[in-house]
Amino acid sequence: MTTKLKSFDASRYSIFIILALVFVGASFLSPNFLSVDNQLNVLRQVAVITILAYGAMTLIIGGMIDLSAGAVMAFAGVSSVMVYKDTQSLLLAVLVGIAVGVACNLVNAFLVATLHTPAFIVTLGMMLMARGAVLELTQGQNVLQLGDFVIIGQGTWGWAPVPALVLLLITAVIWYLMNQTRYGRGVYAVGGNEEAARAAGIAVAWVKYKAFVVNGVLVGIAGVIFMSRVNAGLPNAGVGYELQAITAPIIGGTSFSGGVGTTAGTLAGALIVGLLGNIMNLTGVGSYIQQIVMGLIIVTAVAYDVWSKRGRTRTTILRSGRRGEPAAAGADPGATADPPASGT
Amino acid sequence: MTGTLLSVEGVTKTFPGVRALDDVSFDVRPGTVHALCGENGAGKSTLMKVIDGIYQPDAGTVWVRGEQVRIKNPIDARARGIAMISQELNYVPDMTIAESFFLGRLPRRRGAVDWRYIRSEAKRILAEEGLSFPVNRRLRTLTVSEIQTLEILRAVYHSADVLIMDEPTSAIAYKEVESLFAKIRALRAQGKSIIYISHKMDEVFEIADDITVLRDGTVVSSQPASEITSAQAIAQMVGRDLDHQQYPKERIPLGPTAFKATGLSSRGMFEDVDIEVRAGEIVGLAGLIGAGRSEVVRAVFGLDRLDGGTVEVGGTPVHITSPRSAIRHGLALLPEDRRLVGIVPDMSIKKNATLASLPKVIHGGYAHAREEERLVGEFFAKMNVKAPSTETPIASLSGGNQQKVLLARWLIADPAVMLLDEPTRGIDVGAKLEIYKIMTDLARQGRAILMISSELPELIGMCDRIYVMSAGRVTAELTPDQYSQERILTYAMNDIEVA
Amino acid sequence: MKTPTRRTFTAGLAAAAVAVGLAGCGGVTVGNPGSDDTAERTQKDSYRVAYIARAQVDSFAAWLANEMKDEAKDYDDISLQVFDGQADDEVENKMIENAVANKFDAIIIQANNGAAQQPYIQQAVDAGIVTITTNPRVDGIEGANSVDANPYDQGGVVAKLALEQVPQNAKVVVLNGPGGNFHSTQRRKAWEAEFFEKRPDVEIVAEDIANWNKDEALTLMEDWSLANPQIDAIISMNDNMAAGALEAVKGKSAFDGILAYGVDGTPEATLMIQKGEMTATALQNAAELAQLNMKAVHDLLTGAEDEVNVDIGNPLITKDNAQKYVDLYKKAGLITQ
Repeated sequence: MTTKLKSFDASRYSIFIILALVFVGASFLSPNFLSVDNQLNVLRQVAVITILAYGAMTLIIGGMIDLSAGAVMAFAGVSSVMVYKDTQSLLLAVLVGIAVGVACNLVNAFLVATLHTPAFIVTLGMMLMARGAVLELTQGQNVLQLGDFVIIGQGTWGWAPVPALVLLLITAVIWYLMNQTRYGRGVYAVGGNEEAARAAGIAVAWVKYKAFVVNGVLVGIAGVIFMSRVNAGLPNAGVGYELQAITAPIIGGTSFSGGVGTTAGTLAGALIVGLLGNIMNLTGVGSYIQQIVMGLIIVTAVAYDVWSKRGRTRTTILRSGRRGEPAAAGADPGATADPPASGT
Repeated sequence: MTGTLLSVEGVTKTFPGVRALDDVSFDVRPGTVHALCGENGAGKSTLMKVIDGIYQPDAGTVWVRGEQVRIKNPIDARARGIAMISQELNYVPDMTIAESFFLGRLPRRRGAVDWRYIRSEAKRILAEEGLSFPVNRRLRTLTVSEIQTLEILRAVYHSADVLIMDEPTSAIAYKEVESLFAKIRALRAQGKSIIYISHKMDEVFEIADDITVLRDGTVVSSQPASEITSAQAIAQMVGRDLDHQQYPKERIPLGPTAFKATGLSSRGMFEDVDIEVRAGEIVGLAGLIGAGRSEVVRAVFGLDRLDGGTVEVGGTPVHITSPRSAIRHGLALLPEDRRLVGIVPDMSIKKNATLASLPKVIHGGYAHAREEERLVGEFFAKMNVKAPSTETPIASLSGGNQQKVLLARWLIADPAVMLLDEPTRGIDVGAKLEIYKIMTDLARQGRAILMISSELPELIGMCDRIYVMSAGRVTAELTPDQYSQERILTYAMNDIEVA
Repeated sequence: MKTPTRRTFTAGLAAAAVAVGLAGCGGVTVGNPGSDDTAERTQKDSYRVAYIARAQVDSFAAWLANEMKDEAKDYDDISLQVFDGQADDEVENKMIENAVANKFDAIIIQANNGAAQQPYIQQAVDAGIVTITTNPRVDGIEGANSVDANPYDQGGVVAKLALEQVPQNAKVVVLNGPGGNFHSTQRRKAWEAEFFEKRPDVEIVAEDIANWNKDEALTLMEDWSLANPQIDAIISMNDNMAAGALEAVKGKSAFDGILAYGVDGTPEATLMIQKGEMTATALQNAAELAQLNMKAVHDLLTGAEDEVNVDIGNPLITKDNAQKYVDLYKKAGLITQ
């Protein structure tokens, strides 16, 4: 058994090479790009979407998806703002934000893991419910005058913006969870092949619950930072964020068929999107062109992902077999009752 | 190039880093069965994909009926009379029998699909074969063997002259093999040619007229079957002499009863099954496909529901609700369907190997990478796993190596009782022998092994005792002095014959 | 694409308005005018009026709907039912059809997309129902009435003020609403004609779409303020985006005296103007819109008027008069300080 790498595996690091290229390219395009202020800007700007992206990544690796992230983020953030205005307690406000995120995701988890409903449908429903809830809560109006609540989104610790510090901390925690815990292994295994994971003794439902809880915490924190950053409780916040949150992990190599993806890749994907948006703003590229560029990046990233995996075993076909009905029909319950074809 | 139905000349195909086929040539004569032998990774599948038009060769030519052709894709191949009956039968489970005959070429009348014609044609085809299925039956309700039969009928109906069968017997039982061979002989009599790919030497020598042996992408030999012996062919395949008949069986002094199942029942699957395995014992579970063997071990392992019966492990009654609890009680299951319930394809072989023993490598708040590498490396060295690195995704390994990784998974988990469901299916000869050796080692360590197999020589060669199942019941318990293929078969077909 | 959707007025104002509204007539009906048979059809001393709102997720539309309900209570002979068009042409059209089929005495329509709703509004007129289009006015329908604010004028009053305030050779940034949005383009046109054409010395150093959103404007301004060390004024097509842009330069000494113009007169903007952080805005008053709508519908139903086409005023809010509007909002319980 040899353990050395056969050769430098370029595809594994391509996302970081692209990130480096974007960085170098951008520094030539604008003299302001490299300034410390601008780099801190980028970190502040990508914080919310990257935190959501880690949640999306977790679920996609686990073979699920969360379409409710944007709406739940708004619900959690606005709830947090309202609690802060009532109690003036920052700690309580943050905890309520997280609690709302977790509560919504526990509902998702119950339907997905316990009742075996497709995550796509469940979270689509949750998207509507959470959006409706936050609109009902505020009657569609912005909540204003947040006072010191803004330090979470706008404050600094030393020279470092608080959202950037939160992002770093969360990045470390997510990396730890995905790479250093049984939970993380479970997520990869369940997303990679749920039946095999179960047969290897992984508590599949439990893993799914945990993944949704992690997502809920992240969505809650993202909501708090978002509202604090804009200094308002916006019930309409985060429309379309569920899809933006998926962009970073997909660019970063997370596979939509589950079981594949890395924290570092997702961070790199988020930074690529953030840096490109930043450099286009700095150089005055309009939002129409920006949309075209972002679309191109997503399509290219996914096409590359598919292209680089050509010729690999097509496992997705086999996965369509349902529990108790393996693809080989030999174990089919009907087979015992029916005599073999030739015997009739 | 006259006198041959299909010829391949000097075909070379490379993939990044691998030369899958290197200057391969062979001829298929009309009205013959041409066997293609070789270990996994020898290039058989690649060669067939070239013939089927899935891959384009880098060099070399393909001739069909004396005409040089470039086969663009499988549709093109079918138009030229070449049909592939693939190893993993690809079918749409909710499709009806009638539809499946015309999949991809549904006949139309005035723009609309002509369902009446489709149904009547399907009925006619089945009737000619003496089959009486309703043509509206869904494929998911059929057995693998039945679907295979349909695929063959479909290929012949669409006037295929060359049928490529890739491991056609890997998922069907003895009796069905016989009827498959009857079908192949009938096709041969009609002047059709069959390219037959198999690991099973006895089958190959029973059915083949010509044999081509491939190794590492090159043709080692190509000749009429009468000019080569089974032992020679195997030697050519593995590149060394290997006595394939020799099972590495050892008589080990048996310990106390390690596993005892009493009165196991699952409605519609099996009934009143009693099985006992002692420490150090290898016990076989024989029977036809559909006899309920896999269902029994799946239910014991907590993968499916058990309606009745008790299970004791090491003399203690245990209540198993899930694979997780089964593993905790010292059970392990090497599943029949490796890809569906075995491997996590995109995961590294290392992580696949430790998946059932996570507490051993992740504890105290972090993953002990070095410990994991050591643990995995130790087993892999012992089992001779061939892979570039333990970080390689398991999906990129051959079937035999995947199976070894899955065995390693359970060795690391260190169970008292191992349930092995078709442990050597789809695995090449060399790897099979290695798996037998591992089983012997396991028995020597005092583990109890229950092994399901459809290959009777393997059961007879390896087992201390054999249970035979038929139609969901245990119909016999045989000891080595009673072993014979005929006797096992008789008990296996017991109820069916009576019914 | 021409979808004059707006979620401009993001005021806390409505929160209180709703509190009042809820006490009176309950929440907004999300349903089908056609399937609602609660009101007596024959009783002519009670007119049944349907108000088809653009969307409840649109904060200005939500505020307007609440004001409408509030205002309707002042008329004993009017029973108002509010329906949610869900920012969807299809839904909105269906609701107009159903309201016609259900023989409401009058229908007030806040179009989601004027062109898409036009034939359906025409149906209502043809059925002899009193029909009013509001916010926005839908033109070209014979026999329909309208009550609206004029978005061009809203931009215009602020632009005229800026003409005097923006310094010589100033560098400015411009924030627009969603591409193709009627209110955004009208306001921008007013700024072009009333300000930029008259002030060729002023340079636009950056201009982009922030989709009415505070967070998008914040991100844009963070980047722009780095690329352009000198920005003298923020010219925004609504208050939300102006407030977001100001959030980005808050506390940065280089942008201390920056001017900022919006439109809408949200409580947030009013407060910022009072504190001297923002410069000016024009108030689009949902309460006034509702008042005029109810008066118009009553006049038309009772025969006091044959045709009504009116605009609400566009009062300018500056530091000089901000106190008045802050007091108003305070009285309504919307600013609690």
